[in-house]
Amino acid sequence: MSLLHLPMPDPGSPDLRSSLRLLAWLGRSQRKGQLLSVLWGTLLMGSQAATPFLVGIGIQAAIDHHARQLWFAGAGALTLGVLQCAGSLLLHRQAVWNWVTAASQVRQLVARQASTLGAGLSRRIATGEIVAVSSGDVEKIGWFVEVSSRCGAALVVWLGVSAAVLWREPQLGLAVLLGVPVLAVSVWPLLRPLEARFTRQRELGGKAAELAADTVAGLRVLRGIGGEELFLDRYRAASQKVRAAAVRTARTWSLMQAQQVLLPGMFVVGTTWYGAHLVVSGRIGVGELVAVYGACAFLAGPLRILGETAEAWTAARVAAARAVRVLAVQRDEQLGGETGDGSAEGTAAALTAPERADLHDPATGLTAYAGRLTAVVCGDPDLAGAVAARLGGHVPVDGADSASRPASATLGGRALDTLPLESARAAVLVHDKDPVLLSGTLAELLDIPRSGRIAPAAALAAACAEDVLDALVDASPSAGGDPMRARITERGRSLSGGQRQRLALARALVADPPVLVLDEPTSAVDSHTESRVAAGIAELRKGRTTVVFATSPLILDRADRVVLLQQGRVAGQGTHRELMHSQAEYRAVVTREEPVAAASSASASSAAPVSASPFASMSASVRAEEKR
Amino acid sequence: MKAPERPAEQTATMLPVGSPAAVRGYLRLLAVRHRRGFGAVVGLHAIGAAAALVGPWVLGRLVQNLTAGSTEDYIARSALFYLAALLVQAVFTGLSRLRGGILGEEILADLREDFLVRSVGLPPGVLERAGTGDLVSRATTDVDRLATSVRDALPELSVAVVSLVLILGALVVTSPLLAATALIGAPVLLVGCRWYYRRAPQAYRDESASYAAINTVLAETVDAGQTVEALRLGDDRVALTDAKIRHWIDWARYTLWLRSVFFPSVDFPYILCLVSTLTLGGLFTLHGWVTPGRLTTGVLYAQLLIGPVDMILRWYDELQIGQASMARLVGVREVPDADTDDSLHPQGRTVNADRVRFGYREGADVLHGITLAVAPGQRIALVGPSGAGKSTLGRLLAGIYAPRTGEVTLGGARLAVMPPERVRAQVALVNQEHHVFVGTLRDNLRLARPDADDQELRGALDAVDAGQWFEALPEGLDTEVGSGGGTQLTPPQAQQLALARLVLADPHTLVLDEATSLLDPRAARHLERSLARVLDGRTVIAIAHRLHTAHDADRIAVVEDGRITEFGSHPELIAAGGPYAALWQSWRDEATD
Repeated sequence: MSLLHLPMPDPGSPDLRSSLRLLAWLGRSQRKGQLLSVLWGTLLMGSQAATPFLVGIGIQAAIDHHARQLWFAGAGALTLGVLQCAGSLLLHRQAVWNWVTAASQVRQLVARQASTLGAGLSRRIATGEIVAVSSGDVEKIGWFVEVSSRCGAALVVWLGVSAAVLWREPQLGLAVLLGVPVLAVSVWPLLRPLEARFTRQRELGGKAAELAADTVAGLRVLRGIGGEELFLDRYRAASQKVRAAAVRTARTWSLMQAQQVLLPGMFVVGTTWYGAHLVVSGRIGVGELVAVYGACAFLAGPLRILGETAEAWTAARVAAARAVRVLAVQRDEQLGGETGDGSAEGTAAALTAPERADLHDPATGLTAYAGRLTAVVCGDPDLAGAVAARLGGHVPVDGADSASRPASATLGGRALDTLPLESARAAVLVHDKDPVLLSGTLAELLDIPRSGRIAPAAALAAACAEDVLDALVDASPSAGGDPMRARITERGRSLSGGQRQRLALARALVADPPVLVLDEPTSAVDSHTESRVAAGIAELRKGRTTVVFATSPLILDRADRVVLLQQGRVAGQGTHRELMHSQAEYRAVVTREEPVAAASSASASSAAPVSASPFASMSASVRAEEKR
Repeated sequence: MKAPERPAEQTATMLPVGSPAAVRGYLRLLAVRHRRGFGAVVGLHAIGAAAALVGPWVLGRLVQNLTAGSTEDYIARSALFYLAALLVQAVFTGLSRLRGGILGEEILADLREDFLVRSVGLPPGVLERAGTGDLVSRATTDVDRLATSVRDALPELSVAVVSLVLILGALVVTSPLLAATALIGAPVLLVGCRWYYRRAPQAYRDESASYAAINTVLAETVDAGQTVEALRLGDDRVALTDAKIRHWIDWARYTLWLRSVFFPSVDFPYILCLVSTLTLGGLFTLHGWVTPGRLTTGVLYAQLLIGPVDMILRWYDELQIGQASMARLVGVREVPDADTDDSLHPQGRTVNADRVRFGYREGADVLHGITLAVAPGQRIALVGPSGAGKSTLGRLLAGIYAPRTGEVTLGGARLAVMPPERVRAQVALVNQEHHVFVGTLRDNLRLARPDADDQELRGALDAVDAGQWFEALPEGLDTEVGSGGGTQLTPPQAQQLALARLVLADPHTLVLDEATSLLDPRAARHLERSLARVLDGRTVIAIAHRLHTAHDADRIAVVEDGRITEFGSHPELIAAGGPYAALWQSWRDEATD
């Protein structure tokens, strides 16, 4: 058993039928570790419990003026002490090993689950909850795994000591056997209210922290417009609530501390008092009295583990239930008819040369021809997103509307949903509206499965990302001026929206898939840059199949063919210029003009565009009205 | 065993971290503020800890008397006395813990409130430059870490020190000879502690950072599910998580190694202490130097020593972690206030930039001598490629940054040295950052004008086209919004909210940096129109990436590479046939003709 073998190459497949089975499965996978830690725990606590007896012998020897016995007691105490040191160290090491093993195993499982499910997981379960499994819940499961073995050791030692005293002095032994568990459980009545108050305190604390974080995160807004006092007062109120709740917790806690002094103390007083009588009556020696005193004072401690174990058990079960919930989620797609995995492998291989196949969406009638740059104009951004996702196939089911699911997009006549997920994704890359920049260096960001045809530098140039490189280098002192070594922070937060967008676009271009679907790739980019990016995309994707959803004329003008979608169907196609001339609706979407009223007369197109900006000179009538 | 490698620093910390002297100064401040509470905790605990010393003393006396042939009567009296002491110990332990708890919470509340008070007073320029990420992590992680230190470590440590002193004192009183014997292992303990505490605090910080890194990767994988799936990064993410787990385990092994050295170096001196008091003390008794009763008491005291020593060692590194967090909280107090001149009042509304140069870093200017005059009520559009300095210029015109050379004035008064509260009454900046605060919609709007009534708030929402979705909210202005449990506003809605605040704040000059970029083109057009009605007569400086916005401005400034390369009205620039005209042509194509 060594930490050097972790993380495991394969964390195995857990038993997910219930939370108990998951815990049992985890326990089984480290049976040896558990046994060892019970053993070391027994060694530690056993030698601790035995020490008072040697102290008793030593004191008795001193009273009896028995030098040899004194040396014996000293040597014995030293031996026990060394054993205790060893036990303590071995137990701690083993407990940490067990903990780390369980924790890393669960975390590996969660990570694999997240990677396999992709978009399907966060749709079903909130990101926070999944991360909670990997942080808080892992700790609780690990805690239980760790404490349960210590609990076993404590029980062994308690029985051992009781037996020893019982054998020597039955009544005293009985007192130890029964009294110690009573003491151990005596904390329980206070435990529940303490927990309730602590939970309340933590809730309020969480809220206050959230308020603080939120206020600080929006501080630029506050400093720019005002309202600091409003928010400070709000925070002060929340902070004082936390304080009041924490003081309530402290009340219960201090009561518990007092109780933990009083009850074990009374037990010690009682046994000592009884022991003193035994001494007077000559049944035991003074040394033994000291031993009993010491042993009783010690034993109450280890048995408190019983309480801790019960607590850990409750927490671990809840945690395991949550882990089961996350780990049991499966990718849910209604594929209708043949499925893409397993048996269909044979037919899947039939998809050859995806770069020479046309991409078609039966639901809208949209077709993107092989090797061409097709732009799609669609007035409704949500519809555009849905069509873009559908073009990639294997769309995760979103709720109950699976029955009314449109047919799968086809590539070269083959429904994408009938291909294995991996091949479908390899053939068609859908670059959605909000691609996430994964943190890491720029080199790592661009190190993705790719054709190798396009160099990162070429893709970055096509996406006009030169200023992004400068910004990255500026913010990353450790990169030493090399943009490829510069770090991108989480979600690229240090970059502006337009910079993020261009970096993500460069990443999609580097992948160089046979078919690339881009959804509004330049919506946050200024016009100057946009026109250069449009040229870059056209150049880099020459001869490859590309679909761009866009409304900007700078992009549309670069496309080989533009398709207009209206009410979910193809309503017109041609080049940008052709459509600008022939289709009033198209012109309305692209130039942001007022959509021409139902009568799409040709004369309407010559009407002056209604101006559209905060400093638009208002139409004369409005202005005249205001003047009055 | 050597410490594992540390990952490279991810981001530079932009805000200062408090110096040891500053931390000490702040601690002194707290100590003075809470001196009575602190005195009470120590005093109450001292009584409780003294009572705890009675037990071994009673037992020692009992042993002494029993060897001399004691009576039942004496045993009963001893038991009663012991019981009484126990009662005192219990009561005072409880009281000292309670007072300790109350004190800790008061200090904590002070700490976090002081921090926020200082944070909301930071100069806008500092915030803009440093970003808020670092500040957020201080407000959450550091406050949280400090809570453990203050709530547990501080009371436990002070209590343990008091106990330790009392026990040692009692040992000396019982028998100075035994006390000397008990300390036989102390040098080992000291050497062990020195070795450990040199390495431990940093190692634990690294361990917990490597632990958190696993979750960061996981959260990213889940969050970016769509991207991960589209780019087929699943296997990479698994490998990355495993690597992070590996790294965490390396640190866990390293800290385990530290403890593997440390634990014996604490346990063994304790064993030595017990064995030597028992054996040597026994020999002293044989020689008649120490009575059996005192020997018993002494050995039991020696056994008591481990409690407080253990406690001190256990909470010591917690306190060090707390100190690091404290330094980060105190650091915010060290940000100097911007040099402001309270006597500056603008005369008029003309915004003037005169040969402005500005850069974020020494020797790397972003703006190279910009001169621009904006007359009251004029509408200026700033256009140009990304990274040309448009947003930077916007921030200078809004008084957030001070120019390196040259000056930016409003009505003749330099914006950068005017107090921020006065600046924002005149000039407001709305950018792409659209923060929705946790709280009600009313809270979110009222920050711009605290005395606004509901009628005005609704009016502001109407003015930015938010009426439609606002009417659909069942609880109206009382709707809880923001991250967490509240109703989630979409980014376009959040942008409308930001503009509604602007309408309420009603400054005479506005800088709009891509303020409607998140709305879809048609909605943006409509919003801009509604807004124009409300903002009539205001000076507007708009940074826009859609040429439409530029077309309708009174003047357009084309910013390229930190310089204004073209300036004039739309028709003038079209007539000039420069880059702007070319761009406009490809944008509008023949539809505008």
